[in-house]
Amino acid sequence: MATPHSPAPVAAPGAAPVAAPAAAPAAVKILIAGGFGVGKTTLVGSVSEVTPLRTEEYLTTASVGVDDLAGVDQKDTTTVALDFGRITVSPELVVYLFGTPGQERFWFMWNDLVNGALGGIVIADTRRLDTSFASIDFFESRGIPFVVAINCFHNHNTRTPEEIRAALDLDPQVPMLIGDVRERGFGRDLLLALVDHLMDLAATPVG
Amino acid sequence: MVGPHIGEEDPRARGRTPHWSELEEPYAEDETGVMVRPYTITRGRTAPERDDLTLITVLTTAEEEADAALARGSRAGARGLQPEHRLILDRCRRPAAVAEVAAGLDLPVSVTKILLGDLVAQGLLKARAPLSVARAAGGVDLGLLTAVREGLRRL
Repeated sequence: MATPHSPAPVAAPGAAPVAAPAAAPAAVKILIAGGFGVGKTTLVGSVSEVTPLRTEEYLTTASVGVDDLAGVDQKDTTTVALDFGRITVSPELVVYLFGTPGQERFWFMWNDLVNGALGGIVIADTRRLDTSFASIDFFESRGIPFVVAINCFHNHNTRTPEEIRAALDLDPQVPMLIGDVRERGFGRDLLLALVDHLMDLAATPVG
Repeated sequence: MVGPHIGEEDPRARGRTPHWSELEEPYAEDETGVMVRPYTITRGRTAPERDDLTLITVLTTAEEEADAALARGSRAGARGLQPEHRLILDRCRRPAAVAEVAAGLDLPVSVTKILLGDLVAQGLLKARAPLSVARAAGGVDLGLLTAVREGLRRL
């Protein structure tokens, strides 16, 4: 990381002064995960300062799964799309929010997407909690800190937080918030809960 | 051919600042409207020469060098700078992450990285790596988290 006193690029002596280019901000990213259709892009959009952008990547995957042709050993190239947004925290720091592709078996293989993430938010829907199991397992196995968002459209939720925690088999210190991901305030609270969780973890020695 | 109007306000925007990609024709097509295969744009290369560009590596155009290269290009033809290279140099006059450049070009991330690598190698683009957050490397900086927290509270 650059120190505050690192020298700015200096023009050669005698060179005409040029407009200083805008200094590049540092970037961090947070992953928004959860099952298909659970509200990932909605959450990105509720807190992003820009309309969520879409980008895609080609992933080369060893072809595995039920749609395999028997006896055919080949690699498939799959196009995976993701939506992302940004929050400019300060002129020096930008947070990017990446909604992970709905099919976990693809984004788990996208190393550039998951490497170096500050943390994650797993969105779960109480009517089909099982669709978020894979995301929780993935973050746990990769050691990526995360919080859980229970998305309740119209506050429709018939289960207690304790029941949901038990159903998701959540570690006791993993924060879990219940709300509506369409609301900016809930999105902000989720991100703040994640940052607080990261601060707690940073204060805890590793191992 | 009308040049791109990057950064200009578009009156068609519905109450928001349009993304730069919305102000232009999709340039994955040539003048005849024929789709150009993505790896044609990279002249057949399928892997970047550098592997240190990530989705959130922030790129900034080196103004002086880029202006000189663009001026050379308009006098002497393409000179190695393709239309996509020029669009990237214009886009990154304001710092942008790899993912944002890819979204704007409407090209896959891996193709975009090859084009970005060309420009970084020529000194026309500066790349800033993401902040390290690996716990093994000392973990997340508390100052960073405090700064993120302050920024989020203003949402």
